[in-house]
Amino acid sequence: MSETAKAGRPVPKPNTYVDTTPFWEGAKRKELFLQYCKDTGRFQHYPRPVSIYTGSRNLEWRKVSGRGKIYANTVIRIPGPGIDGRLPLPVVTVDLEEGARILGNIIDSNVEQIKIGAAVEVAWDHLADDIYYPAFRLV
Amino acid sequence: MAKSDIVIAGYAETPVLYRSGRSAYDFAGEALAQLIKNTGIEKSVIDGMSVTVPLSECANPFFAVYMAEGLGISPTWLNYGGIGGCSATGGVSRAMSAIRDGHCEVAVVMSADAPSTRWNANYAAYRSEFQDPVGVQGPPAVFGLLMSRYAHQYKLKPEALAKIAVTQRNHALLNDNALDKFRKPLTEEDYFNSRMVADPLRVLDSVMFCDGANAFLVMTRQKAEELGIKKYVYPTAYAELTNVNGADPLADITETGFSKIAPKVFAQSGLKPSDISMFQPYDDFTIAILMKFEDFGFCGRGEGSDFILNTDLSFSGQLPLNTGGGQISAGQPGLASGGLNLAEAVRQLFGEGGKRQVKNPKNALVTGIGVIPFARNWGTSAAMILEV
Repeated sequence: MSETAKAGRPVPKPNTYVDTTPFWEGAKRKELFLQYCKDTGRFQHYPRPVSIYTGSRNLEWRKVSGRGKIYANTVIRIPGPGIDGRLPLPVVTVDLEEGARILGNIIDSNVEQIKIGAAVEVAWDHLADDIYYPAFRLV
Repeated sequence: MAKSDIVIAGYAETPVLYRSGRSAYDFAGEALAQLIKNTGIEKSVIDGMSVTVPLSECANPFFAVYMAEGLGISPTWLNYGGIGGCSATGGVSRAMSAIRDGHCEVAVVMSADAPSTRWNANYAAYRSEFQDPVGVQGPPAVFGLLMSRYAHQYKLKPEALAKIAVTQRNHALLNDNALDKFRKPLTEEDYFNSRMVADPLRVLDSVMFCDGANAFLVMTRQKAEELGIKKYVYPTAYAELTNVNGADPLADITETGFSKIAPKVFAQSGLKPSDISMFQPYDDFTIAILMKFEDFGFCGRGEGSDFILNTDLSFSGQLPLNTGGGQISAGQPGLASGGLNLAEAVRQLFGEGGKRQVKNPKNALVTGIGVIPFARNWGTSAAMILEV
């Protein structure tokens, strides 16, 4: 687990778009919470103001396994805001077991083994004092 | 839209410049002056305007109104187009509707931006919480992801992408409006030696933000004749789609909006892929061009690499591709980008292509792409067919 806070990396401010408190509270406990549509029984990510399936606001937050498979992968190699000192930076999309796709970094892994279809689990990237952010590691 | 009597009766395009120190308004002024000179119209006949939301001025929600004021135009129809690189073709289409509805007679579709001088955009939304922390700041990482997935599902030959880069560069060498920096020849070797940005995406697969403007005049053919305008082209098809597969969180990201709208523009125009005289696709990244060859049926799904390698894409070839160099080799004038490919199509159909003139073109297929969404391909896809 990466416990080193990275200098210069922006710390996200919760609730700027919709109420994401459960996501950030869960992250403090190193648990991944995603938005869940109670009408359809389906998850969605990123969080939205309504269910993308029905348009209703009958949403809640539920803990997910954090397990999934890499759907697509890249490695950022050029500098940019907030990524100083992090290059080369592996970025993937992961299809979670619960049926949502999430963008994340791969940490604590042999980067040579990152490939589409590889199994991953959530890992926690330490951003600041008590702020953890979901990333993934190869399993 | 086929058989419409509404036409594009004039175009203007400024040179593409990097860090010009000038504003979107100033570029728009240059484009308008050129448009008036090219068509011989009086400014006072312009009674409609579509303005593209620019990165360099979009903190001002009244940019379009300020633009009207700045240009001394008093439109009875004003549209402010926020679909990025689809705003030019989309602006033409919306202007056609407005003219049909009687809201205006002569509309200018104005796209001007100067983000390499002044960046004044903040996409905000969910990004600070769910995208920025991952380090995905701009389109390259998203296109790296897209390329990786395409390569996983299909055959992606880097030499095909190199051929796109080299072909378009050769065209830019013949385009006086292309960015100076890009007006030197490029080889396949240069492509393979270019820096990796976000694997497997290279620098030479990518656009660079610059400054510039373009403008189009839309009116009925009858009005054009009244105004003494001799050159015009017919937009005979237009379709757009935003947020393709938006309610499917596990959608195949190699399926783009173009696969949905391509059949519509061919049905509207009555044309088929083999009828297309030239292809002027929005080119933020080379992979987008490759995927569009497939989506528009120039070849089958997954056959893009071989199609590119087996087809002469030069201005004198079988399927002329981005004959002005495209954005990748002419420079991307911010969100005025969608008008760059459109201006080249109109220029060619007017027979004003100069040293890169396509021989006797009957039509052109132009596309736009707007904005990068979360972990998908792109936000808006737009396509327009123009016919002489």
